[in-house]
Amino acid sequence: MPTYLTIYLLPTLAEPLFHCSTKLYVNQLRVLLTKRLQKELLSLIKDPPPGVLVDSEKAEQNLSIWTIYMKGADETLFAGEEFQLQFKFSPKYPFDSPEVTFIGPNIPVHPHVYSNGHICLSILTEDWSPALSVQSVCLSIISMLSSCKEKKRPSDNAFYVKTCSKNPKKTKWWYHDDTV
Amino acid sequence: MSLLSILFDFFQSVFHLIWFSRNSITNSLSIYVKSNTGNTVSVDLDPKWDIKNVKEVVAPRLGLEPEEVKIIFAGKELPDSVLLEECDLGQQSILHAVKSRKKLVSESKPLCETLLDFSLSEISERAEEEETTLDDDEKIIPEKAHFYVYCASPCKGMRTGKLRVRCANCKSGAITVDRDPQSWADVLESERISGHCEEETCSSGPISWVEFYFKCAEHTSQGEMDQAVPLYLIRPNSQHVPCLACGDVSDPVLVFSCSVGHVTCLECFNLYCVSRLRERQFTMDETHGYTLPCPAGCEDSLIKEIHHFHLLNDEHYAMYQRFGMEEYVLKNGGVLCPQPGCGAGILVEPDCTRITCAGGCGYVFCRNCLQGYHIGECETVEEIEKTGTSSYAVNPECVSQARWDEASKVAIKVTTKPCPKCRTATERDGGCMHMLCTRCAFQWCWVCQIEWNRDCMGRHWFG
Repeated sequence: MPTYLTIYLLPTLAEPLFHCSTKLYVNQLRVLLTKRLQKELLSLIKDPPPGVLVDSEKAEQNLSIWTIYMKGADETLFAGEEFQLQFKFSPKYPFDSPEVTFIGPNIPVHPHVYSNGHICLSILTEDWSPALSVQSVCLSIISMLSSCKEKKRPSDNAFYVKTCSKNPKKTKWWYHDDTV
Repeated sequence: MSLLSILFDFFQSVFHLIWFSRNSITNSLSIYVKSNTGNTVSVDLDPKWDIKNVKEVVAPRLGLEPEEVKIIFAGKELPDSVLLEECDLGQQSILHAVKSRKKLVSESKPLCETLLDFSLSEISERAEEEETTLDDDEKIIPEKAHFYVYCASPCKGMRTGKLRVRCANCKSGAITVDRDPQSWADVLESERISGHCEEETCSSGPISWVEFYFKCAEHTSQGEMDQAVPLYLIRPNSQHVPCLACGDVSDPVLVFSCSVGHVTCLECFNLYCVSRLRERQFTMDETHGYTLPCPAGCEDSLIKEIHHFHLLNDEHYAMYQRFGMEEYVLKNGGVLCPQPGCGAGILVEPDCTRITCAGGCGYVFCRNCLQGYHIGECETVEEIEKTGTSSYAVNPECVSQARWDEASKVAIKVTTKPCPKCRTATERDGGCMHMLCTRCAFQWCWVCQIEWNRDCMGRHWFG
């Protein structure tokens, strides 16, 4: 007869757990999301990083999808080029990172940018923190573009673009190179 | 004219009413005075009195002369000139009256939650000389600042608190501190500050370590054992720092213990906890328990006092407790009772395979396949489906429920796959084949049902 020991730690909780608070929680999240995005939009309109312009009309119509126009910095490989970025915010923003992709006709040719617009940048997934903002993401992307020494696509571009999910956040990125 | 005079009379009577009612309130501060010889007397004092008046009232009742009595409160001897209302006394507070051993050397006001009196000049002088730590900042504020505590009973929630002092050896409040605490470490850690214990029966006296503790400031004191847990990350927002999530400047705020001291408002802290909780993203720390780091992911920022999670509402706190319990049990090699609606945590010896959910539903099951206990080899999933309910331990109550549960059991079996490690039934709603078990954090492949590897990534990452 094997010996056994049981320690019972908590009284049994009836099964359909925790559903009452869900509604409240979702509402509170929505309030936080709106408050935070309105603040960020206002500061981005008032005080944008150089070369960055937010389509404020579109953003005001739908706060959870923003289009941002970005100019390549002077004296870099992308000088004179114009790009469009799309920011999508989940209901859990700012605790969850925004989904950021390049859209439109001109996708920068860069070792960390796939031809479908997906960006390999750690702060957009693993290293995201609610202390970051749209502004700081824009600055990181500008600096990522500016430090580029050779215009080329990532080496696995063809395979990735064919197989990836539409949402770049579903990709498990391997951040192997911080120098480019 | 007559109307005016009627109005005047009316106002005068109202004024009198207010005046008299206020007088009667100020006169009723009911205090216990405890002597170091074991006597306790109950006295009603006027907050406008100074300590000299108190001594004159109290000393004869303790059989002492007013001149030889020292009044001790919250770690400090109160000098004669201090008014009672400056001392942060609540109803039924306890003052200690002791017979002097020596002459009073330095005079200072008690340590109290109105940090106004907290050796203000000394700290602000020091602040000019050197950079102060965050902990000291709150003591510099000239206006009334607070400590925050979790009051488990009767308030059941976050309340303002007050700092109190007692002897670490004999637990008597009749002790004076040798120096003021300078930081939270002085208050929270033991054997940092010494004091003079006046209790005659104290074995380590007259020099003893002092022990700081907190009381809820929002209910009448229920005696010396009535304590509250300090929520020391919650602080008055004296620096007007905006919340890192919503950007609002609120008061009070929660300051994380990371080196930069990230700040969130209490509302966003709540949302942060709930969103991490629902994804089971809390950390099980060996010393501090089931907890969270700063939302910005800083190093060394885990919340060490888990009573801070009492800021969650009851339902989410129950969720926190349950998940924490499950995490603890799994981490320590235990199992969770597989019976629907139970899920009790059971710690078992490593070689035991027959497990009884003793404190819970009473279900007896096999540790390996988490099905009803059986002799011999475990059945595969297909075999269990074929034999149906007959393989379960027969419990009349379960049998009566089984018909209803059967439908959902079938649904669970066809739409889910068990996590290869902890066997939690898992549903995949889109996305890639890379599964991350939210219960045991095991990374596995939906196709192969083994640990996720490079090979799976190359062959069927996205289906």
